[in-house]
Amino acid sequence: MLNRRGFLKIGGATAFAALFGGCERLPKTLVPFVIPPENYALGESLWYASVCRQCPAGCGIVVRNSEGRAKKIEGNPLHPVNRGKLCARGQAGLQALYHPERLGTPLKLDGPRGSGKFREIPWEEALRLLMTGLSGVRAEAPTALLMLTDPMRGHRNLVSARFMKAFGSPHRVAWDPFGQDAHLSANEAVYGVRDLPEHDLAGTRYLLSFSGDFLETGVSPVHFGHAYGRMRAARPTVRGKFVHFGPRLSMTAANADAFLPVAPGTEGYAALGIAHVMVREKLTPAAAAAGGLWNAGLKEFTPQAAEEKTGVSAADIEAVAREFGANQPGLAMAGDAAAACTNGVFNLSAVGLLNLLAGNVGKPGGISFPDRLAAFASFGAEAKLLLPAAESGYPAVRDAVERMGKGKFRMALLSGATNPAFTLPPSLKFEEALLKVPTIVSFASFLDETTSLSDLVLPTPTYLEEWGDDLPPAGHGGEAITLGQPVVTPFRDTRSMPDVLIAAAKELGGPAAAALPWGSFRECLEKAYAGRGIDLEEAHKNGGIFSGKAGATRPAPKAGSPALPKAAEAAFAGDPARYPLVLHVYPSSALSDGRGANLPWLQELPDPIATAVWRNWVEVGPKTAAALALSDGDGVTVSSPFGSLQAFVFVHPAIAEGVAAMPLGQGHSRYGKYAADRGGNPYALLPASVESATKAPARHATRVSLVKTRMKGALVRTVHPEGQWLYENIL
Amino acid sequence: MTRNAIASILALAALALAVLAPTRSTAAPPEQPIRYTHKVHVTDYKLDCRFCHVYATKSASAGIPSVAKCMMCHRTIATDRPEIKKLAQYWKEKKPIPWVRVTELQEYTYFPHFRMVTYGKVPCLTCHPGIDRDDIAVQRQEFGMGWCLTCHRGRGVSIDCWTCHI
Repeated sequence: MLNRRGFLKIGGATAFAALFGGCERLPKTLVPFVIPPENYALGESLWYASVCRQCPAGCGIVVRNSEGRAKKIEGNPLHPVNRGKLCARGQAGLQALYHPERLGTPLKLDGPRGSGKFREIPWEEALRLLMTGLSGVRAEAPTALLMLTDPMRGHRNLVSARFMKAFGSPHRVAWDPFGQDAHLSANEAVYGVRDLPEHDLAGTRYLLSFSGDFLETGVSPVHFGHAYGRMRAARPTVRGKFVHFGPRLSMTAANADAFLPVAPGTEGYAALGIAHVMVREKLTPAAAAAGGLWNAGLKEFTPQAAEEKTGVSAADIEAVAREFGANQPGLAMAGDAAAACTNGVFNLSAVGLLNLLAGNVGKPGGISFPDRLAAFASFGAEAKLLLPAAESGYPAVRDAVERMGKGKFRMALLSGATNPAFTLPPSLKFEEALLKVPTIVSFASFLDETTSLSDLVLPTPTYLEEWGDDLPPAGHGGEAITLGQPVVTPFRDTRSMPDVLIAAAKELGGPAAAALPWGSFRECLEKAYAGRGIDLEEAHKNGGIFSGKAGATRPAPKAGSPALPKAAEAAFAGDPARYPLVLHVYPSSALSDGRGANLPWLQELPDPIATAVWRNWVEVGPKTAAALALSDGDGVTVSSPFGSLQAFVFVHPAIAEGVAAMPLGQGHSRYGKYAADRGGNPYALLPASVESATKAPARHATRVSLVKTRMKGALVRTVHPEGQWLYENIL
Repeated sequence: MTRNAIASILALAALALAVLAPTRSTAAPPEQPIRYTHKVHVTDYKLDCRFCHVYATKSASAGIPSVAKCMMCHRTIATDRPEIKKLAQYWKEKKPIPWVRVTELQEYTYFPHFRMVTYGKVPCLTCHPGIDRDDIAVQRQEFGMGWCLTCHRGRGVSIDCWTCHI
């Protein structure tokens, strides 16, 4: 019987050669199949379910496949996270597949290290080089091997973890610039659970958001977008209200009923002001019962005190608190901008306190903590390796950089989209330290800033061409295992990282071979799920294993009287006299943390607020712009104590004054022709500051200055920021 | 105007028509890798066209039968004939047969077989006349726009430009 891969091969080899031969006349010969594949009809589409890896949300996708080519990606309707929806980044996955700059042959450094000059070599030679390196390190000092990746999940992570353990090195570092460290610590402090929660947006009546752009970026934008739509329009008599506190009007904020601009890093004070009113006026039963908070210090946090800190009027805070109390179940959420300040845990704990006062923990329309580990009890101690790691891994990265600088590592294995050479603060000197490692091997589909520092690059398939499994971090009760499968025959001569590790372990022999006993990564997955009473073929058709029932919940979160979080001020580097504005950086809704910058579809996707394409910009409010004598479209040099770059000014009509905001994602120096030279990299302005409690990176921790500069060209925008019906335009 | 001038203009016009008209020759059948005969299969043995051209009912293209499909019968039927031996050789080597295209349409038209065959219930021979009697397939019908329009008008089918030119 012909299997699916065989079919794809034949489809690719025969029908396609004829149909896509070029833009000439119709081909003169008609080449039929020797053996037609099953379920095949010329010109008819087949849809394959798989998993999206354009961001860490882990949405389920279905890919339309016609004549052996992937032609369209959509959301998988059966998948609990995204329920048939998909964002622009997911849709753009096709361009990663067909990208002209994709690596298709192993590359060996052919010039000075870091020059990005490579020559193509055959796989045999590449694997020999890899094995020579690995064997040498293992024989002399196994702990001198470093593996630096993005946070992996599912069996991909399990294979890597087992490989490193059997190899004898503890240095496996996963870096995620948007890790959830502060959320985890705050959840532990407030709810007694160190985990990411489920927010029942769809069932809530009143949503308070604190600097979380959950509709465009964040943990699971498509999931929240869909749930948000249901909150607003799916109930016959209730239209949930949404109030957003944040330093700038993001797309999420633009969807809110009320947007209240707050000074960066003061979200916690706004939340405490609301909590003060709730307890004072006993607005909910839970708030009435939380009298202990009052004397613990909550009475100090009056709305007037909050006004002084945040800039939001006391009257607004009182009004929001009363509405929040009257419309239950209500829900409070906080996002990246509140978490990535030096006082992130305080901000998030204060927001968590609002959920306790609303009494919505573990209830519909509120916040809950499903026990995601319960679904994997059968994996024993290794179950944790399959689940999403929410931490940024920053302390481990700093440690690794220090060790690299001291020459403690002899070999580094790099992989992943989080691109540390681009996303880490330059003052950490990551690149310099990495180049001190004698041998650097990357697993990559593209040459980005990090992978181009390698000695050897092993090309990997894109996620549309490989096997895999995934456990999404949000949007399900803990019982959604997504399965990925190749939807097309790999276009290039690539091998997936787990496959290479399995082969390398076999070659190394001994404990490594015993720890990775499979012939391939596909076999590893099949064996893992075979024993669980699952029809794997059916599961692949559906795109995963979705039980449909609510997952096991954890024991009731921390009972008793809630504690008042210890107030902390956000610290900002730089002298306010020299650097008058606070820098607010946010992940671009199209380019994410920067990984999407090489896809033209995403480059030409107008930003939902600035409507700009192909470049980045700096946003300032009208008053700030007037004070600095800047007008919309001017070129400026943005300088922080750590770096500077040039950008165009976008006078944002709705941003907290005294704030300069920049989207992250542009400013690549490598990463192909579509990504390179599109403005400066805002990560380069950031300090190496950390959140005080968790030691996670604090992005919102520096001040900047703007100085008018002559710049070539202009920022291309589709409409004027104040609307295309600007008064002058009409006249 | 002299008679000669009129004659010249008429001659030029005739020449122009001859040049502009579709110029397919129906005389010389192309050289095929195997001398496949529609006559034996369709007229003598009464096979339905759609038995081999399986996609005609559901796809834009009617499709050419796979080598496996030919071998369904020719594993046992007429295995000693030289042309069937050629077929068997392709099968043995698991190579596709490079058939030469016979019927061609202008590139700016879109002709979905399934619309005509499945929904229009147009018999195959309407557009491929005489192919059931060919020893080697020849295109006899020129697919000029007038010919298509006549059929579309007669059947009350849309003659909107974008129905065919997409």
